[in-house]
Amino acid sequence: MAVELIRDKWVNKVNTLKLGSGMEEGGSRSSTLTVGGVSTLPYLFSDGQMPHRPVIAMEILDTKPPDWPKALSEPFNGVLDNPVEWAKKCVNEYKAEVLCLKLQSTHPDFGDASPDKAASTVKAILGAVGVPLIILGSGNDEKDNLVLPKCSEAAKGENCLFGDATQENYKTLTASCLADGHSIIAESPIDINIAKQVNILISDMGFPLEKIAINPTIGALGYGMEYAYSIMERARLAALAGDKMLSMPFICFVGFEAWRAKEAKTPQAEHPEWGPEVERGLMWEVITATSMLLCGADILVMRHPKAISIVNQTIDKLMKK
Amino acid sequence: MDKDSCIVTFLHPNPTTLEVNKGRDLLSVAVEAGVYINSSCGGDGVCGRCKVIVKRGQFKTEPSGRITLDERRKGYVLACQTTVHSDVEVEVPPESGVELDKISDEDAKLLRLKGMYSQAVDLGKAALTVEEGIFKPSPLATKLYLELKPPTLSDTISDLERLYRAIRKNRDIPIMQAGLTNIKRLGRLLRESDWKVTALLGKRNETVEIVSIEPGDTSVRNYGIALDIGTTTVTGQLVDLNTKEILGTKGTYNKQVTFGSDVITRIVYASESEGLEKLHHAVIDNINGIIKELVNDNKINLNDVNAVECAGNTTMIHLLLRVDPKFIRREPYVSTANFVPVIRAAEAGIKINPRGLLACVPGTSTYVGGDITAGVLACGLNRTDKLTLLIDVGTNGEIVLGNKEWMVSCAASAGPAFEGSGVKCGMRAAEGAIQRVAIDKNTYDVEVITIGKAKPKGICGSGYIDCLAELLTSGIIDRNGKFSEKISSPRLRSSGESREFVLVFKKDAAVDFDIVITEEDLDNLKRSKGAIYSASSILLRKMNLEFKDVEQFYIAGGFGTYLDIDKAIAIGLLPDLERERFSFIGNSSLVGSREILLSYQAKDESENIARKMTYIELSVESSYMDEYVSSLFFPHTDLNRFPTVKIKGK
Repeated sequence: MAVELIRDKWVNKVNTLKLGSGMEEGGSRSSTLTVGGVSTLPYLFSDGQMPHRPVIAMEILDTKPPDWPKALSEPFNGVLDNPVEWAKKCVNEYKAEVLCLKLQSTHPDFGDASPDKAASTVKAILGAVGVPLIILGSGNDEKDNLVLPKCSEAAKGENCLFGDATQENYKTLTASCLADGHSIIAESPIDINIAKQVNILISDMGFPLEKIAINPTIGALGYGMEYAYSIMERARLAALAGDKMLSMPFICFVGFEAWRAKEAKTPQAEHPEWGPEVERGLMWEVITATSMLLCGADILVMRHPKAISIVNQTIDKLMKK
Repeated sequence: MDKDSCIVTFLHPNPTTLEVNKGRDLLSVAVEAGVYINSSCGGDGVCGRCKVIVKRGQFKTEPSGRITLDERRKGYVLACQTTVHSDVEVEVPPESGVELDKISDEDAKLLRLKGMYSQAVDLGKAALTVEEGIFKPSPLATKLYLELKPPTLSDTISDLERLYRAIRKNRDIPIMQAGLTNIKRLGRLLRESDWKVTALLGKRNETVEIVSIEPGDTSVRNYGIALDIGTTTVTGQLVDLNTKEILGTKGTYNKQVTFGSDVITRIVYASESEGLEKLHHAVIDNINGIIKELVNDNKINLNDVNAVECAGNTTMIHLLLRVDPKFIRREPYVSTANFVPVIRAAEAGIKINPRGLLACVPGTSTYVGGDITAGVLACGLNRTDKLTLLIDVGTNGEIVLGNKEWMVSCAASAGPAFEGSGVKCGMRAAEGAIQRVAIDKNTYDVEVITIGKAKPKGICGSGYIDCLAELLTSGIIDRNGKFSEKISSPRLRSSGESREFVLVFKKDAAVDFDIVITEEDLDNLKRSKGAIYSASSILLRKMNLEFKDVEQFYIAGGFGTYLDIDKAIAIGLLPDLERERFSFIGNSSLVGSREILLSYQAKDESENIARKMTYIELSVESSYMDEYVSSLFFPHTDLNRFPTVKIKGK
């Protein structure tokens, strides 16, 4: 007897989110991208559509990364202390489609750079490359509330994706993004309820739901990845079942998490039996990224060019119907 | 000095020394020495609050993740994990002790819980009730005036038999008992009072006792006390047992709060040296204080108060009776007694007629005590066909679901915020407590109404509910309970690290400070309402039911004399359903306690309730945490559950 496969029918789909604005929309991006819009669980093309391919953003910092292991910093030798050159290298040499700029140097403990300095870095990068930009604060709420409004203003009209808005600190960033036409990342600590609460809080300020991306917070392989997986799966199921307050694309900071793992960054000299660190770190990032794709990630923020290339091939294969 | 002992010196606040056996842990030594060191886990080594520095001497300590590297270098250890092995000098750093050098230990603890202690004050009558007077009057203690036939040569039964015979003429009481004290006095008393006496009869379990015999007719003077002993508040009511009239109600904060704000901390405290005695005396002081004031106010004689009926959670009853509650906290969580026999009140230390009786409302389990039994009795949940949910908004937040066929219950640790404790300007529902709040949506001006229309002194539970709803609808706070940054009003201001909103300025208040609600208060209240809503929701789900299936909701608690249902729904404390389904019934535990005091029939029914109820432990429900977090939002993360609540963000 033939087995009939059960097909899920969903009533809702994930919002589409556009990254970047071209000339005709008042921006200056030579390329823009759209993510989201899925109406099925990931890659189940018989149940619904995935109109847009997940994208990978390459992460750059506005200062020399203090804690990147050699295996990770090697591909960027010579540009790590120059964010504009770094950005160009990513786009020209590694074919990055999106860049994610973290304003690390503005953190009081990492240089305490001024809001104006950060804004000029943003402007310089936007001038040097044509891809859409994701812009992150340093994670210090007080300072971010000074820095990000300046950067938002400097990037007005470019439809950048700014982050992160949290339950405790969302008002300043939301107001800036609303005023300057950017999208926003809503962060929650691996908790579906808080994810939803941040979205409601942001939308209560009059911010359109279609311009929010969810950062569900993830863990790397071996560091709680399965918690993130199940939270993302639940949020996506809720979205497809009709929950508008969870119907946003996911952005996952894979590079940041994967390269924190000791398995990724410990030199071979310390653990000869673990093998070469280049491969380890790379694979840690690839496996974490692939797992996130399978639970619905729409934007992956990654670091190593080789890892990015491998995951891009995986996405190609997954997207084949 | 014994070679097995050593001297421990605490350097702070005042040098205190104590000779103890080697190998003792520092936390218990500190308790014995009267040196106050914070601890909320009771010495299990998990809370990390009992940090001390051993300055000199030999000691052994278990490593703890609660000590940072930096602290370890400075010599910090956890007092409860450190044993002494020679004479030692110990410094208690300010964060571990109470930073009040000049104030005695007990006072310091009181100050730490500022506002927690106050004199007993008059309350509303906690009248109610849904269907009062359905029980046949038969109080716990009855007085009967008797004119006995004097003995003659042809009627020579004994004095006691003669008394029994006279009583049986009035009442159908087959079995009676009388104590030796009474018998010893009987012969003379009967003759001196010309065979006219009043017998005080008490129901003691299955028999009737002649509690005492008084000369002449004193039958009109027969009073009883109904008590509700809550974790945070103690309420007492004086009742005329003949007429059922309520003569007065008084409430006060439970003095045990100084030894811990929740039952678990108190159980832990009870196991410390003299801890049980202190807890017991604290509540007995409360009770005797309340009784004394009620008696004085009504100008009656303490000796005419003949019975006390007491409702309280299982731990409170243990402590009242000075029974060690420690097994309540240990697996498999069994209490010593849920059905406590009637005893003499004096045995527990309660000062009424020395031979007067004390009865406790029976409880179901370790976590569902007599207060809930009394609540169910008071609202008649056990007599109705309709599916009913009783929510007691107290520190333990008990919830009962069912009807006359079945009953399940659970407890939600809501914390004391709605009882006015753990919040900056909180107070109990007494005169001067703000219980209604209106905030102008444009000017942010505030109007308040207090209990008794007195000058405002603080905010009680129903005032906080009103206040939260108004702050939300006027956009002063967001759904997460944080103040808006866009509003400029002299009422919204910074206070240290945090912000606060002024409800009443000092010049209009009866107290010497502005009455405010702080961001921290908002957090506490959010957690309290979240705990209650999510527990109700899980209890229903467990029975495969939903809120909409519940035909009537009874909201109980001593947090106000009124409750605005709309506002309780707007903040997500109650589900969004037709308002007609909800009734606010006040302190139902006290009402149930009074009904039992007044009728033995009610007593029988309370026992049936206690036997019938099934307890469901929420902490083992995997979905509880998830439901709780989703309730930590105004009104709820799932806005579809609150279709009629409209909140405008700013």
